Amino acid sequence: MGRLRKKGEAGAAKAYVTRSAAIKKLQCSLADFRRLCILKGIFPREPRHKKRANKGSSAPTSFYYAKDIAYLAHEPVLQKLRDHKAFAKKLARALGRGEWSSAKSLEDHKPTYRLDHIVKERYPTFIDAVRDIDDALCMIFLFASLPSDGKVSASLVENCARLAAEWQLYVMHTRSLRKVFLSIKGVYYQAEVLDQTVTWLVPYQFTQSIPSDVDVRVMLTFLELYQTLLGFVFFKLYTDAGLVYPPPLDAKKDESAAGIGAFSLQDARAISQQSDSAQNQTTNTAGPDGKRVSSKNVRQTIKSIQASSADDVDVEMENSEPSPADADEEEFVPHASSSNPAESADLPTLQSLSTLPQSSSAKLFAPYTFWLSRETSRPIFEFLVRSFGGKIGWPVTSGSGSPVEASDDSITHVIIDRPLVVKEDETDEERDRRQRRKYVQPQWVVDCINAGKILLEDLYAQGKTLPPHLSPFEAREDAYDPTANVDAGGAVSIEEDDEAEDAEDAMDEDDETPEHAALKAAANAQDDAALRAAELEAEAAGVDFGSFEKAAKKATTKTKQKAISQEETAEEDMNKMMMSNKQRKLYERMKHSQKKRDQERTTLESKRRTIEKEKVKKNRGSQS
Amino acid sequence: MAPTASIKSTKKRKAAAVEDAPAETSFPQEVGLDLGSEGEEDGVEGDDEDDGEVDEFPEIDAGSDSEEEVEESEDEDEEEEEEEEEDSEDITDVDDDIRPFPISKTVISDITGQPKRVYPEIEPDYDSDSSTEDAPNRVGNVPMHWYDDLPHVGYDMNGKKVLRPARGDELDKFLETVEDPNSWISAFDKTAQADKPLTPEELDLIRRLQEGENPDASYDPYEPTVEWFTGKGKEEVMPLSSAPEPKRRWVPSKWEKQKVMKIVRAIRAGRIVPNKPKSEKPQFYSVWNDEPSTHPAPLPAPKPRLPSHAESYNPPEEYLPTEEEKKQWEETEKEDRDRDFLPQKHSALRLVPAYNQFIQERFGRQLDLYMAPRIQRKKLQIDPNSLIPKLPSPASLKPFPVYKSLSVSHQKGRVRTVGISPDGSWAVSGDESGVVSLWEVIVGREVKRWKFDGKIGAVEWCPRMDVSFFVVAIEDHLHFVVPPNLHPTVLSATLAVLSPATLPPQPDTPSPVKWTSVAAASYSADKPLLSIALPPSSGVPKQVTWHRRGDYLATVSGGEGQGGVWIHQISRRHSQAPFKKVKGVVQLVLFHPTKAHFFVATQRYIRIYNLAEQKLLKTLLAGIRWISSMDVHPMGDHLIVGGYDRKLCWFDLELSDKPYKVLRYHTRAVRSVHFHPTYPLFASSSDDGTIQIFHARVFNDLMTDPLIVPLKILRGHEVKEGLGVLQAKWCPRQPWLGKLSTVKGGMADPAKWSHCASDAA
Repeated sequence: MGRLRKKGEAGAAKAYVTRSAAIKKLQCSLADFRRLCILKGIFPREPRHKKRANKGSSAPTSFYYAKDIAYLAHEPVLQKLRDHKAFAKKLARALGRGEWSSAKSLEDHKPTYRLDHIVKERYPTFIDAVRDIDDALCMIFLFASLPSDGKVSASLVENCARLAAEWQLYVMHTRSLRKVFLSIKGVYYQAEVLDQTVTWLVPYQFTQSIPSDVDVRVMLTFLELYQTLLGFVFFKLYTDAGLVYPPPLDAKKDESAAGIGAFSLQDARAISQQSDSAQNQTTNTAGPDGKRVSSKNVRQTIKSIQASSADDVDVEMENSEPSPADADEEEFVPHASSSNPAESADLPTLQSLSTLPQSSSAKLFAPYTFWLSRETSRPIFEFLVRSFGGKIGWPVTSGSGSPVEASDDSITHVIIDRPLVVKEDETDEERDRRQRRKYVQPQWVVDCINAGKILLEDLYAQGKTLPPHLSPFEAREDAYDPTANVDAGGAVSIEEDDEAEDAEDAMDEDDETPEHAALKAAANAQDDAALRAAELEAEAAGVDFGSFEKAAKKATTKTKQKAISQEETAEEDMNKMMMSNKQRKLYERMKHSQKKRDQERTTLESKRRTIEKEKVKKNRGSQS
Repeated sequence: MAPTASIKSTKKRKAAAVEDAPAETSFPQEVGLDLGSEGEEDGVEGDDEDDGEVDEFPEIDAGSDSEEEVEESEDEDEEEEEEEEEDSEDITDVDDDIRPFPISKTVISDITGQPKRVYPEIEPDYDSDSSTEDAPNRVGNVPMHWYDDLPHVGYDMNGKKVLRPARGDELDKFLETVEDPNSWISAFDKTAQADKPLTPEELDLIRRLQEGENPDASYDPYEPTVEWFTGKGKEEVMPLSSAPEPKRRWVPSKWEKQKVMKIVRAIRAGRIVPNKPKSEKPQFYSVWNDEPSTHPAPLPAPKPRLPSHAESYNPPEEYLPTEEEKKQWEETEKEDRDRDFLPQKHSALRLVPAYNQFIQERFGRQLDLYMAPRIQRKKLQIDPNSLIPKLPSPASLKPFPVYKSLSVSHQKGRVRTVGISPDGSWAVSGDESGVVSLWEVIVGREVKRWKFDGKIGAVEWCPRMDVSFFVVAIEDHLHFVVPPNLHPTVLSATLAVLSPATLPPQPDTPSPVKWTSVAAASYSADKPLLSIALPPSSGVPKQVTWHRRGDYLATVSGGEGQGGVWIHQISRRHSQAPFKKVKGVVQLVLFHPTKAHFFVATQRYIRIYNLAEQKLLKTLLAGIRWISSMDVHPMGDHLIVGGYDRKLCWFDLELSDKPYKVLRYHTRAVRSVHFHPTYPLFASSSDDGTIQIFHARVFNDLMTDPLIVPLKILRGHEVKEGLGVLQAKWCPRQPWLGKLSTVKGGMADPAKWSHCASDAA
């Protein structure tokens, strides 16, 4: 016999700690504990035996892994939080005593913590980080649209807006947007970055206010982590794409509501060349032929570099935004710039690999130029069109920086979202322009993106009733598909309906006639005796034998089939009794969920059928 | 006003610098306002910039004050006595009752040239002493609300009532505040029950309190320190303590020096730089450039579900909820909703409103991320039907009974038990009314009927082939009955077994069980040939079971005493109780088919005893609440046990004392289980009115598990009074089943399964 084991010294009792015990161990406040949990990604666990984990008590508590808490105890951030507590006390004391100079020196040495190590711990590889930025993006986009108030500082909102713009710039630059969905909650975007699908939700442009039942502190803590995470992720993404991070912000443009256009993407190599050349110049005493290089030449060389490295860098962007390389191009010296591009062109780097030619759908809108009508949301459609290679312009009311004017002849599509109104006093020029352009509703852009091809514009023309907008994310196999049934299932269902209707009619009208009753009896007859009785009845009713036999045969085959299937099911049922308990439960659960899904589908189908029937009726009514 | 004050002050300063303190206190007393003193004070301090403050005071007072002051300043050159006189007059004017003592004044004596304190002279008239002059009301310090309802407010010194002064209404009060210039410095006097202007002292006190000064005007916080022990000639000469002076007083600290030197060295080496700008790490850099750690990454949080068609701003119409669905959605709790939104349809994108739950949903997601416990679940992508075990088709395991071929019934009473002859051609059944019927199995004809008094507990046919008789168990008795129409050789052998010519010798000790037999000569088929009288009050035997050889039989009675188990040996005409004491109530017993083992089932356990060695071999835990039936496989290595809690356990005796398989398929209590003696079949009958037939193949190879295949569910029994099929028995040589039930049976083709059951409904 082994040694007696004491209770509570091993197993679940040791592996789990309650939250209050954890706080006691860490010697911090509950708020600090929450903050740490959020930052470190530690969440409660559900022990298999709650009573054992809670040392015999069955009170409802949340449990954490004891190892998680031990791991938190070594966290530098926790130490910093404690330091901050001491600092706050010292500062309050200094202020209370009016010791301004010591308060100032304290303030200068205020303990601050960084989250780099946490980002590294939580996401050991870059792919891990990219996989997990969905929530971060959602939060950033939400806070970018919030008004700043006492709880949410203006600088925070500004930083969020900057991060959001950086992400959009990157997605546009790499053409990695895949799917878009206009939902009632906001716009869902899905991009594919490093083979990871990243989905984020952006609310529609309305002023949101934080409701009172939401704890802002929790959100801000999350946001703190997310800002750091996104900063590092974007840094890596940008540098891997050969761009400078952070992209410089043009303050003037930003003030005039240029949105994303206020940022300019810079090629990192161009910058490095520039600095190289600057160095060269300092060493070479600017020779006479150095002056002869015109700005045009330099621009061309830079372009060739960019083309060699990333062949589908946003052309429009480069035209519209003068890169700083252009600014001081006069100083360029030919030796440096001619030597470098050869090197860079030969080296197959990661970025050249990552910008391999993508599928044709990435350049979906490349041949078109769009004009945004005043009532459409510019941030959404600018992002969409530009990430698929299109060119887009907008009126000044939607912000500055539009690359095309309303009167530009290159505009092929106008995205418009208002009812059709016939304009009385239209000049010839305007009419001509209107006829040359295609006026589509915003859904067309999104549906084109999801379909991966340019759809017919007629369905989406201005003022028309739009076809339903479907989610591109519906992936389940057996889910109800609103598109598939239109041609194949629809016809069948209509036929069935007709049958059913016929049957109903028969029920309504001919129930009294003895022939039908007899035939029905034949159909219902189960065994020989009943069949014979039915035959006699039919004869009496005056039904000819042929039709009776047909009905009887149909009925018998039906019953036979039924019997066979019943036998099979009975066999299966019997085999079920040999399942283990675990298997049986699993089986029942699966069957239950299957049934639920089936039911959902059937209700949707039946609803659709009734809707279609109504439509047909209405059409008939309108025709007659 | 200010200039006058300053002029006066300068004059005064010329006169005497020390004089200003008493002047400060004396001037305001003249006018009942401290503005003079204030201005003067400022002037004295050389601060002439307080015009604004001075101007704040009401003009009337200021005017009168300044006039007086001017007069005073003009009279400054006059003798001081005059001034003093004035002062004392002032004091009486103000009738200050707060200060009990007259205020002194420090003046420089003309004679000595030293400052001296001068008190105002007291005139010896009636009103000279202000301290004795008092308020007319002498009521004392009593709560004044006692006089609330009375016309007077107290009594004066002569005992006359002091009438309550008239107090106007609110309007009067207001007018008073407007008209009376003193109203803003007056307060309600409780004893006089009227508003009285505050005295300058009180006002001064208020001012001091407001400004956070010491309330005592005469307190000087900047008194020069008096050096008692420092300075020449004042040092203490004698030490206070005789202890020698410690070294630390005069030797510089070594540790301090070390600490300082450490800092000095650090400064010299450039390790400490004062006001060094903080070395800023770049905010973002490539964290992922160095080797990733070998630790596995923490599991990523599950991603939220992607939106479905229903969430679209313009969904297909079938997704829109009907009125009932909407109502139902609104009525359900937020947590219970399967969808957190109601699908809506908007005809244009510009009409889509803001989603009002956006921030809540984000917040909910975050709460999930850090507060919800996460469990990793494997998602099974399998067809649920693949979970059903693949068993050989029942069609390939024929023969087994598939339908009812025959049904016979008892007249009345519930049929409890059935026995089938070892050759399978006869069946005998007993009911609760005491009727035992003998049936021909193939045709279903009743050959003979016996009537016993009392309920029949069990009927069992002797398994021997050379003889033919059966045992009927009734209250306290076992009767051995020989069926009619036997072959003569069999009959003679049977008679020889049951009532031999020479009886075996009686055992030495008298047994409580009595064996009585009828002589073979007087044999008749109507009467039992041999009877065993069990000890009285042992009740109806619940079970009779034969040993395979047909010499021993065991009975279990419900009554008390030695567990009610008896083993009877026919050849020796001897009965014995194998157990002195049994834990629990014995439900069933069984002989092992090949070994000298004996199974005893109590309510929960099954114990296996070795009869030869007389010891317990094994206890089986069935996990059944109440064992109802038990049978052992003809090979002897497997045991099936049925229970009233619907379970059926299959024990592999070689394997473990726990069941190898537990089946729960009957919806009601299992009543009986029986292995087929020759075919690999077993059947279980239950109160739900069904009999289930199983194929049960047992392998000699120890490694292969027994194969159990459910074959057929035989239904068609009416359940009466909660009782279904009470017993089911196999025909020994055919794959037929004999069964009993409380219900009338039907009949069908005897080729498949026969059905000797009956009933009296």
